[in-house]
Amino acid sequence: MPSSQTPSIAGTAIDPTALRPPLDDAEIVRIAPSDLYAKLEALRAEGFSMLLDIGGVDYLGREPRFDVVYHLLALPTVAATVAEIGKPRRLRLLVGVPAEETVLPSAISLWPSADWAEREIYDLFGITFTGHPDLRRIQLPYDWVGHPLRKDYPLRGPGREATPRPPFALKSNVPAGTPPSGKVAAALQKQIARARGQDVPAETDGEKK
Amino acid sequence: MKAIDAPGPSPAPLPELPSMDVVAREGNTMTLSMGPQHPSTHGVLQVVVEVAGEIVEKAEMEIGYLHTGIEKSAENLFWTQAGTVIERMDYLNPLGNAMCYVLATERLLGITDRIPERAQDIRILMCELSRIASHCVWLGTGGIDLGAISTFFYSFDVREDILDLIEVSGGARMHPNYLRIGGVNGDLPAGFMEKLDALIVKFPQRMRELRTLLQNNPILRDRMIDVGVIPAAQAVEWNVTGPALRGSGIAYDVRKAFPYGGYERYAFDVPTRTEGDAYARFLVRLDEMDESMRIVTQVRKALDRPGPVMIDDPKVAQPPKETIALSMEALIHHFKMVSESFRVPPGDVYQAIESPRGELAYYLVSNGNNRPYRVRTRPPSLYNLQALKAMAPGNLIADVVVMIGSLDPVFGEVDR
Repeated sequence: MPSSQTPSIAGTAIDPTALRPPLDDAEIVRIAPSDLYAKLEALRAEGFSMLLDIGGVDYLGREPRFDVVYHLLALPTVAATVAEIGKPRRLRLLVGVPAEETVLPSAISLWPSADWAEREIYDLFGITFTGHPDLRRIQLPYDWVGHPLRKDYPLRGPGREATPRPPFALKSNVPAGTPPSGKVAAALQKQIARARGQDVPAETDGEKK
Repeated sequence: MKAIDAPGPSPAPLPELPSMDVVAREGNTMTLSMGPQHPSTHGVLQVVVEVAGEIVEKAEMEIGYLHTGIEKSAENLFWTQAGTVIERMDYLNPLGNAMCYVLATERLLGITDRIPERAQDIRILMCELSRIASHCVWLGTGGIDLGAISTFFYSFDVREDILDLIEVSGGARMHPNYLRIGGVNGDLPAGFMEKLDALIVKFPQRMRELRTLLQNNPILRDRMIDVGVIPAAQAVEWNVTGPALRGSGIAYDVRKAFPYGGYERYAFDVPTRTEGDAYARFLVRLDEMDESMRIVTQVRKALDRPGPVMIDDPKVAQPPKETIALSMEALIHHFKMVSESFRVPPGDVYQAIESPRGELAYYLVSNGNNRPYRVRTRPPSLYNLQALKAMAPGNLIADVVVMIGSLDPVFGEVDR
């Protein structure tokens, strides 16, 4: 059941990443899951020494359903000054993962930092990584059911979504139609006068806090 | 009744214990749990350490105690509203988080080049003040970890002045939602500059005092030098950024490598050390506070020029408050902006900034709607903290506390 707050996505085949030229400094590469490990290995050898982050996106209704996004950065691995580093290369690797087979090879043998990143994707999206030595939930309790960052996971959780939210009731003890009075009206009139460029009467002592 | 001073039986001679090395070699280890409720973990972190004697063999961490689903919440809010929950991630640097999110959204909107210069300057001022405030918390709490209680009061005095500045400009001390898409929410109020000038005068004196207290303190040096060493190559492969990476010798600073939001206009240096231990990270952060104040001083001069603080684009900016009472069009415009917000063209963007902890980035995806489709944070604290697994083995268990302190994790950001 989709969340009541999330607007439905127009159309089925959405891929925002392909619609515009790149907006940031990263070079963007799209790749199939079967070629992922070889590509990561080649990039690691090419000098992309840092795996900055792995993120996931659920394009519900698209085929393939998920995108797993690897952000890479080419930093030197020895002490270097600002001038030596210059503007390091960034690369973004997009991997489409179909809903039927949510399995990817783990990058942990290339970058040890992939450990927690992959566990988080597993936890929140339900995508598993083969070759990960310790794939278990990281943010949520171990007995949690479901993967909350999937778009078909309701915002307030499956249990609470069944009961409707109480409607917001605006309660006021002022009957409708009563003209504004008191400090609020005075402040509003003063604001209007100031905006019109008129002289605003000086505040009396009683009005001051 | 037995007399107290009666000689008891003489104690048996202690058996000769094997040395610590032998215990370790026999695989005689003990598993200890630190936290999640532990004062020195700076939040809710559980560290499960395997120790041989006092030497750590393995450290495994349990996080997620503070998980609040901020990324999911942000997907269900308008682009303008999401900034409020995003500020709650790194609660020591809320304005830096807002800066990163706002810059990323502006890139998606394609209005990056049209942000008024004064708005950019105010943002930089707020980010650098936040960096100093955040480092003040690290210095205070990190000092307490090592038994230096008085540092806390000195550094929190500076932080208090900065929070006062944030309060008068944004209306709240911690999460003001002051940086908005398109600029900032209102110009700096009267009296702000006087307070800022007072801080600029006071700060160097305070830093001198803090350095005198700490920098050459023999106890602190003993506790930090050669503790938690992470060489450059290892730091890079463990995805360590920020002061921790610069403490290992790599001068990677997003403000220099990928200048954003007007930082290219200001001169500052990137402090670096090559030792890679807790003391190097400590010195890098202290130097960074001085560099941040250098930027603040330059921005202070630039702020003498008046100018607009919000983009002149009714698609993004709300109408000025004064016009709402007079003009029907402005009232309708305001109503539309509040009730529907604006739509952002589809696309994805990765925007990084240098937060006090390292490279903070947002990977935003828009599908053309008035809510972000996906808000992915690259949390620097998470990856810096993960490197503890590489740092801790071989150190004393008491030094694990020092290492966590030297990485300066914020758990609002680790768990999100």
